Amino acid sequence: MKPVRWWAICWFVGVLALVTVGAAGLVAAQQSAEYKVGVVTSLSGELAFGGNVTKRGYDLWADTLNKAGGILIGGKRYKVRLIYADDQSTPATAAVAGERLITQEKVDFILGPYASGTTLALAPITEKYRVPHITGSAESPLIWKGKFKYTFGTIPTVTIIAQASIQTLAQDVTPKPQTLAILGIDDAFSKFAAEAFRTAAQRFGIKVLRFDIVPEGSDYTPAVSAAKALNPDIFAMGSHEKAAIEMIKAAKELKFNPKAFVQHYGMTTPDFRKGLGKDAEYVFGTSVWTPNLNYQAKILFKTPREYAAAFKARFGSDPDYTEAASTAAGIAFQEALRAINAAPPLTQAQKDALIGALERLDLMTFYGPIRFATSGDYYHDNAGLQPIALQYQGGVTVEVGPGKLRLKAPKYPTPPWDKR
Amino acid sequence: MELFLQTLIDGALIGGLIIVVGVGFSLCFGVMHIVDFAVGEWVMLGAYAAYWLVRYLGQDPMVYLPLIFALFFAAGWLVYPLIYRAVSGRRHHPALMGLVFTFGLSTLAKGGALSAWGYHVRSVSTWLSGQSVSLGVTTLPALRLAGFVFGVLTTVLFMIFLYGTRLGVSIRATAQDRETAALLGVDVRRVGALVYATYAGLTGMTGVLIGALFSIHAAMGAKYVIFAFFVVVLAGMGYVPGVIVAGLLLGLIQSFVGVYISGRYTLFALFLLMYLSLLVAPRGILRRGL
Repeated sequence: MKPVRWWAICWFVGVLALVTVGAAGLVAAQQSAEYKVGVVTSLSGELAFGGNVTKRGYDLWADTLNKAGGILIGGKRYKVRLIYADDQSTPATAAVAGERLITQEKVDFILGPYASGTTLALAPITEKYRVPHITGSAESPLIWKGKFKYTFGTIPTVTIIAQASIQTLAQDVTPKPQTLAILGIDDAFSKFAAEAFRTAAQRFGIKVLRFDIVPEGSDYTPAVSAAKALNPDIFAMGSHEKAAIEMIKAAKELKFNPKAFVQHYGMTTPDFRKGLGKDAEYVFGTSVWTPNLNYQAKILFKTPREYAAAFKARFGSDPDYTEAASTAAGIAFQEALRAINAAPPLTQAQKDALIGALERLDLMTFYGPIRFATSGDYYHDNAGLQPIALQYQGGVTVEVGPGKLRLKAPKYPTPPWDKR
Repeated sequence: MELFLQTLIDGALIGGLIIVVGVGFSLCFGVMHIVDFAVGEWVMLGAYAAYWLVRYLGQDPMVYLPLIFALFFAAGWLVYPLIYRAVSGRRHHPALMGLVFTFGLSTLAKGGALSAWGYHVRSVSTWLSGQSVSLGVTTLPALRLAGFVFGVLTTVLFMIFLYGTRLGVSIRATAQDRETAALLGVDVRRVGALVYATYAGLTGMTGVLIGALFSIHAAMGAKYVIFAFFVVVLAGMGYVPGVIVAGLLLGLIQSFVGVYISGRYTLFALFLLMYLSLLVAPRGILRRGL
């Protein structure tokens, strides 16, 4: 048996110790150098398009901020690193993805999903682990009625904003439409968009002839046929982008020609225009942000136009309000962190303090003012933005109301399909 | 009355396309005893094929129907040996292996499409898009009418092939009793390949029409597995003529429930009928299935 070479063992142990300590130091250095930001959104499945809408908004925030050096805390700048988790467009997976980001990736805070259904599944998880979470997209009122302490949102609830187009049609066109049929998709966002159309119609004296809620992915022809048979002045659709395209296709096939087509979200996306071509013309919708607004800000992007230009340079398309709101969600975190002077990694006490800082936030951004409600039905939602009615005119969406928000007159009634 | 007639027509026309998806799916099950979970992905890939062909070569997507049939036939022919390997040999649960394999195929196709072509929602339009034929007080959308004619015509031609040719007899013999057919000289492996390739070709072609009617994206195929399953259960597993009846029934249920009750109960009605059929008439409503 060979004698034990103690010097070799000591050398080996020494090197091992150095490597371990060095690696731990490196990890610690990496951890302290940047904020770990978890992002749960739909990167595959039915809502992959929308998930990527939020991704573009979040990416633009992180990249612009990092290029500027990061968040200034105590004289030192800290960058942000986005760690994505795909919710596969299903609520159950959103909850699992959020849990993984919190327990394994140890993220400091979370930027939330595209859809309301997935957000409603993630909110209890961030609540359970007490991790701050802002959604830059979800619009369902159910989220805010849940009174989740750790969840915030930058877009006002759909029940407020989806009413703008009906209001414009009721107040700003002649002759005033008298009747309306509504078709909504059965999910946490779309059916509330449909509800908002109904509320607005009742508010402005327009008679609701039919209110139909159908599952996503079904054939919309029967529901459109049923609406057509009632000959309404307005046909209003509550849906995401895919159903928005398919409902217009079904209406054209059936030669259904109401005086106005109203949608909420889908029509603001570039895919709506590309998918439908000239059939997208005259469709009404709503938004809370357009590049033409006159906000003046000091953080990252000074004006809506500057944001729109940066977005177009990076992604080759114009931003819509969801992309802008997603970027604004990042800005809200950034300013709240500055307010409490919290460097990464955040302790639980700092995460709790961050909630207080977000509640106190009173911020002007390129997206508009950010002030999260601290009580009532819109608890933790940025409910103060002004909804704007849009209409497709000449291949672009233009602001047509309500009232003083109008940049161009609404075109009403919509000409027949073969006269477009 | 006007709405009733329109609902009837809408339902029948929706059923037309479901028939084509169902025919291939039914035969695939009948001959190979494979429940192909990837049926929706053949539809999705067919729609994408039409989109890219139109994008790069121009013309109307309908022009490419024969080419898409040929492409998907070839793809099906190439994929079949893999499925055959998964469901044959010394594996204990061939049916389960088939399910797992096609489920994997479906996931791969969905993920591949998302990676390759991205998340944008796409659309193709044909010269028939937006055209319609007025029939008294009702409107027949031309594209759906074309889909219906395509569906019924393809099914009838396929049945003539099945019942009127020697190869068709081989296919039916294999569906009835695989071992006996093999003993009598039928090359069951070749018959299987032919059936799977034809099924892939037909389903890919249907994807063109479905893509033109609705929108095109990586996850668009999911619902067609449900529809195909519904049609095949109702028609009787492996019984092709029953597919026409079941496809039409599915379209009519969708249409009438959507108009006269509410769209949110459509799937409930479909599944209720499917479960009742499984309980009361497990060999299909015509009692001719396996």
